[in-house]
This record gives sequence, C-alpha cells and structure tokens, in this order.
Amino acid sequence: MMIAVEGVSLIRGDFSFARISLQVPESSYTVLMGPSGAGKTLLLESIGGFLQVTDGRILVAGRDVTILPPEKRGIGFMYQDYSLFPHLTVEENIAYGLKMKGIASRERADTVNTLLSSFSLHPLAHRHTGSLSGGEKQRVALARALATRPSALLLDEPFAALDPEARLSCMDEVKALQRENGLTILQVSHDCDEAYRLADQVVVMDKGRILQAGTPAAVFSRPVHPTIAALAGFENMLEGTSGAFESGRTLLSIGTAGIIAEGMVPAGERILACIRSRDILLAGADISRSEQVNRIEGQVISMVATDHGYQVRFAGPFPLLIDITGDRSSWEYRPGERVVALVDPEDVHLIRLSKRQGEEGNVP
Amino acid sequence: MSSPEHSLKKNHWSSGHSLAAFWIPGMILVGIIALALLVIAVPVFQNPEYLAGAASDPMVFQAFFVTFLAGFCAVGILAITGTPLAYALSRSDTPWKGIVETLVDIPLVLPHTVAGLMVYLLFMSRGLLGAPLGGIGLTFEDAFPGIVAAMVFVAIPYYVNAVREGFGRVPVQLENVARSLGASRARAFITVSLPLTTRHILYGALLAWGRAIGEFAAVIMIAYFPVVISTLIYYRFNTGGIEESQAIAFILILLCLVLFFVFRILTRRAGVYDDRS
Repeated sequence: MMIAVEGVSLIRGDFSFARISLQVPESSYTVLMGPSGAGKTLLLESIGGFLQVTDGRILVAGRDVTILPPEKRGIGFMYQDYSLFPHLTVEENIAYGLKMKGIASRERADTVNTLLSSFSLHPLAHRHTGSLSGGEKQRVALARALATRPSALLLDEPFAALDPEARLSCMDEVKALQRENGLTILQVSHDCDEAYRLADQVVVMDKGRILQAGTPAAVFSRPVHPTIAALAGFENMLEGTSGAFESGRTLLSIGTAGIIAEGMVPAGERILACIRSRDILLAGADISRSEQVNRIEGQVISMVATDHGYQVRFAGPFPLLIDITGDRSSWEYRPGERVVALVDPEDVHLIRLSKRQGEEGNVP
Repeated sequence: MSSPEHSLKKNHWSSGHSLAAFWIPGMILVGIIALALLVIAVPVFQNPEYLAGAASDPMVFQAFFVTFLAGFCAVGILAITGTPLAYALSRSDTPWKGIVETLVDIPLVLPHTVAGLMVYLLFMSRGLLGAPLGGIGLTFEDAFPGIVAAMVFVAIPYYVNAVREGFGRVPVQLENVARSLGASRARAFITVSLPLTTRHILYGALLAWGRAIGEFAAVIMIAYFPVVISTLIYYRFNTGGIEESQAIAFILILLCLVLFFVFRILTRRAGVYDDRS
C-alpha cells in the first residue's frame, strides 16, 4: 500500500472522526467521496500532515509518518483553488519545492524546463499566476506538485473550479498523467461522474465514517448506505418492510402497495428500495399486464424538461421521479393523466436499514 | 439610441451623483483637517521670519533628527518583535489569544499620560526592566533609549493590528502547500506569508512611525531630554510664544507630508503581483 490510514481519529472544533481506516494501493487512483461536511478534506489534510491526529497511524510507502511534519512526508498536495503562490511567477512556483529541498540551481532549472514543456507552460513561464485561466492554474499546480517527485498526490476537489469543458479535458489529462507515471493519487470529490472517469477505487465517507470502498461500478451499483445511494443517483428511495420471498425475489410492502425486488431478505426487516429514475418506464393505463415487472398505477403530476428529455413527477401508492429520454413527440402525457410506472425487479436495489445507525447493509 | 460614450458619461455622472450623499458629511472631517492646516500655515506665511528662524535653529534640527531617528528605531523594534506576534495571533486558535489581543490593544485606549507613567515605572533606573538593563549600560531616563521605549509602547497596537490583518488575509492553504513542497514552518513563513503581507507591514510601519513621532506625554515622562519635536513645540509655545511653535509645527507638517507622499509613491506597487494591473 502506498498510503495506509490505520484507525485514525481527529477532533477539529465540533467535527471529529474516530478510528478511520483507508488503504490506497500503489499507482492507483482513489477517489474519496461523500456529501459536504463528511470530513473528506479533513482526512486528506490529516494525511498531508496539516492536522495532527489524536489516535492511529498513517503510513506512506510503508513508513510511519504520523508524527512527521508535512515537509517530511513526501506527499504532494493540491487544493481546489490550486493555492498557487501569487507573488511568484509560473516558473518560480514550479521551482519552489526544488529550492526548498536544496536542489542545485542547474538541476533545478533542468527539471523546471522539463515540466514547463510537459505541461505546455513555456509561454506562461514568466507570468504571475493571478491572470491565468482555471485550466492553466491547474497545470501549474500539478507541475509544481510533481516537481519534487512525491510518493503520492493528494488532490482536494481539483476540478470543481473549472468550467464544464475544461473540466473534462483536465480530468483526462490528469488520468493520463497518473497512468503514464504510475502515480498514486487520492482525490476528494463529490461527483460520481468524476469517480467513474478517474477512479480505480472509490471510498465513500459521511459524518466522519467510511461507509463503503470498492470499484466505482461496485460501489455505485450496489450501495450499502442511503448516503451512497443518493450520491450514486438513485433518485427514488422508498422505505418499506420485507415480506415473503421466493425464487430469489422479495416482496416489499411500501405503504399500502407492494413491490418485487431482486434479492433475498428475511421477512419483517426495514428495507430501503432504491430505484434510478431512468430505470422506470412510463406507459398508458391500458398497457397489458405482465408478471415479470412491477406495475404501479398512478397519475402524472408534473413534467419538467431536462438536458436529455423530460422528468416526470408521478403520484401513485408512493411518489416516483421518472426520467424519459428523447423528444416529447415520442410520448404525450398531461398532468393528471392516469399512467402506469413499470419497474424491473432487477432495477430495484435493496439496502437493509437497521435501527442502530451505521449498520446499514447491502442485500445479497 | 444613445452611443456607448454617452452611456459611459451618464453612468459616470450617476455614480458621482449617488456618491454625493456620502461625500457631503465626509467633507466636514476633511474640512476640519484643512482648516487646521490653514491656521498653522497662514500665520507662518504672514510672518516668514519665524519660519526662517526655526529652519536655521540647530535645536530644531536636532529635535527633528532625534524624533525621526527614534521613530525609525521604534518601527525597527516593532518589525522584529511585532511581526512574529502578529503572525502568531493570526494563526493561533489558543484560548489565550483573546487575552494577548487585549493586552496588545491596551496602549490604544490609555490616556497618553498613563502610558507615560507605565513606561517610566518600567524603564526608570529602579524600574522592573530599567534596573537590569541599566546593569548592562542601557539607561532610559532622559536618554535616547527612553524615547524609543515610549514610542514602541504607544505604537504597538498600530503595527501589530495592521500586520495581523495582513497575515489573516494569506490563506493558510498556501502555507500548507509550501510545507508539502518541503518548506519548514519558518521557511513557509519567510517565503510565502511574509512577502504576501508586504503591503500591510508597510502600512503598519507607517502608522506606527506616525504615532511614534507624534507622541508627547509618554516621551517627556521618561525622557525630557534629548528633546523631541513635540516637546520642543510645547516648550517654545510656553517660552517663545505661539509664532515660534507655529513655525516648527509647520516644518513638521511639511516634512511629514513629503515623507508620506514619497512613501506612498515608493510602495504603490509593493505587494501587488497581478500582471494585468
């Protein structure tokens, strides 16, 4: 493991986390996700050495760095606003770390030149950083962080300040850089798309606890906690109780209605049924019945245009959000019209809820 | 349809017009300062012989020299001791911080005579600090170090508060990044925080120097001699009449205006790092 966080605790004002453990494999890209206030940045700053942990160990490349100051940890750090030194030029920013480490001026100049070329920054070398664009700032910050050849890079929401177009190209550049150089990166994000695009491993935390870790596909398709389900884009989360089950399927009671889901759950448990809005089909009330799918009768409440079609607010035995892709001419429903929502049991993801917080779990 | 130039003029006019409500009450203060300058300057020009006499008076020259030099020494001491204090106050979250901040502000709220009394009791030859420092040959009573001590004491809050404000504006993330790049805390302070606080340090130094050279009560209580300019103005007011003191005051105002103007010109670009401006 390049970074190993073992049972680390931290108290910072009103916020604290206790006994957090996290593994970041060598040459991997790990994305640390969670809602605002989850403690992601504090964990990153603890690993970086800017905050002193009260308990546990932090290892970097097998070396215990828990009590070492940031300058002795060999970890690069990049903040959301890139924190470029405004009083230094682009060239001086990149050379800063080399100067601090006492690298001879000749070698320093060579390294800076190489990095200026690699990041296409030569034309900006003598500019101060205040007038650079977001993408340029990010390239300078990356070049500066990589100049000292750190064991790992910690990135705090590095793409959040970029416009959508620059964001995608910068993500691709960073991912390519990570792959080509075998870099170990731990990045904070709150964006699923970013995690899908970049991460080998996703770690989700909330309220100072690690909730789930795994590949993006595994975490986002089978979340074990409502917070992760919300992050993963399950817009419909319905709380119910498990009833009878057979043939690998469970019948859930949600209010006065029932819904069949893939997976086996003992009867009588509190369950959260999570359904993505795009996985629900909408049909006219006259559609023929089928045993294979859940058929939920109700009516259209409202429709709003989205970038990929329309989003329908549906009211039946329970409310649902339904995404319809394509243009409106392919379907025609009006508010108040009776319709049927169709949900494949395979698209219903179940999370077992426990009375005790923190004991949510996946359903096999 | 109005031209862009026309709209620009209109906007410019309306912005000036809307500020009038702010300018008018503000001009009362500016007017008082201008009138105060006039009541010093006009009689001096009506009786130029007093100005010529003051300008050629070796005692006036010496008083100016002592005052300005003591002021620079006070600012130097404040820069060495006050800058680290300002940094510590801006970065620390210790519960003791409030007590330290209150102590720093004490000279700001005290009557100058009380400040003078404190400085005297502390630095007199039998004082808590005066006695041991006297042992190594540093005397304060009626001596140049006494003037500097009084000036430092009264100027502390002006310098420390201005510089603390400056450090507070430097994001701690910049220091964190500097440290992740291999800088120790001290080097991150010297190479990142300090240069980014240049403007506030210069502003604090100017405020502190201005406050220091203007001090009268605290200075005369510990060191009537060597005479500083404020002491001399008071002395001439009592012995030589209002015209003599007016002439010296006029020279002081003129010198300060020139110094402040030159300072502002020289430091206009200090701490500004944007290529666009």
